[in-house]
Amino acid sequence: MSPATSTVPSGPPAVRELTIGIADMIAYAGATWDWHRLHYDPAYLSEKRLAAPVVDGQVFGALVAAQAQDWAGPGWRLAELEFTFRNLVFAGERVRCEAEVVRSGDDGVELRHRVVVIDADGVEERVAVEPARSLLVLQPRRCAP
Amino acid sequence: MSGLAEHAAALVGRRTVYTAPEEFGAAAFRYYARAVGDHNRLYTDAGYARTHGYRDVVAPPTLVCETNQYADLPMDAEGYAGHTWRIEIPDTRTVRGGNSYVFHRPVHPDDRITATWEILDARVKTGRQGGEMLVVTSRATYTNQAGERLVENTETIIFVSLEAPR
Repeated sequence: MSPATSTVPSGPPAVRELTIGIADMIAYAGATWDWHRLHYDPAYLSEKRLAAPVVDGQVFGALVAAQAQDWAGPGWRLAELEFTFRNLVFAGERVRCEAEVVRSGDDGVELRHRVVVIDADGVEERVAVEPARSLLVLQPRRCAP
Repeated sequence: MSGLAEHAAALVGRRTVYTAPEEFGAAAFRYYARAVGDHNRLYTDAGYARTHGYRDVVAPPTLVCETNQYADLPMDAEGYAGHTWRIEIPDTRTVRGGNSYVFHRPVHPDDRITATWEILDARVKTGRQGGEMLVVTSRATYTNQAGERLVENTETIIFVSLEAPR
C-alpha cells in the first residue's frame, strides 16, 4: 500500500446553495427507507405543532460530506465528520453550505462548515447546522482486497 | 415529562444489534448519491474508484449510518422503519442534536453491515425556552461480515416538550 501524493487543493471549498423541495425529500426517503411522518404528513405535523414537513437532518451530513470530498478530490478520504443542528429546515427552504480550511497537517486537512437557511436574495435567515467540521486524510493508492 | 430523570437513568447501557440480511449492493450507493445530488464518481463508477486506490465503488460516507435499508424492522406508528430506542414520552417531539462520525475504512458493495447501538448517556436538561427536554446520546458501531470496523456514529437525540414553558 503506497501513500497517495495528492496535494491540498488551493482555495476554499466551493459554496453550495440549493433548495430542498418535497420531491428531494421523497427521493431521500426512498434512498434511505426513512418514511417518518415528520417528513411529509400534515396531520402528524399539526399534532407536533410544526408548520411544514421537516427535512431529514442527515441530509445535511450528506451535503457537508460532499462539500468536503468534492473540494479535496478523490485522492483524499473523509475520516471524520461532526455537526450540531441549530434549527429545523422545512420543505421548500433554500440553504447555503459554507466551508473554510482551518488546518492542514500530516494527519490530514480539517475543514469548518456551516449550513444556513437563506432567503430569495441569499440573505441568511437562520443557522441550520453549526458548528460542523470534517477531517480528510490521504487515500492510499491501493487498498487491501 | 414528569419522572423523566428516573426514566433517563434507566436508559443508559441499553444495547441493540442489527445485521443486514444481505450485502449492501452498489445500487444503494447510486440511489443515495442521486437523492442528495452528489455526482462523485467514486460512488458509481468502479473503474474510476479503482484508479484512485479503491477495490470497487465506495458508499457515500454517511449512507451506512442510515440503518433503515438493512435493519429489516417493521414500520412503527410514526412511519419509521429504522432503529429507535422506542422511547415513548407523551407530549414531546423528537429532534436531532447532532452527529459525530469516524470513518475507519470505505464501505463497499459486498460489505454486509452489522450495526451495534448503545446508549451512552441520557439526561434531562432545560431548553432555551425554559421547557424540559431529555437528551439521549447513543453510539452506533458499524462492522462488516469479517468483523472489520467501518464507521462509528455518535448521535444525540432530543425529546422536546410540547408543553408551554414555565
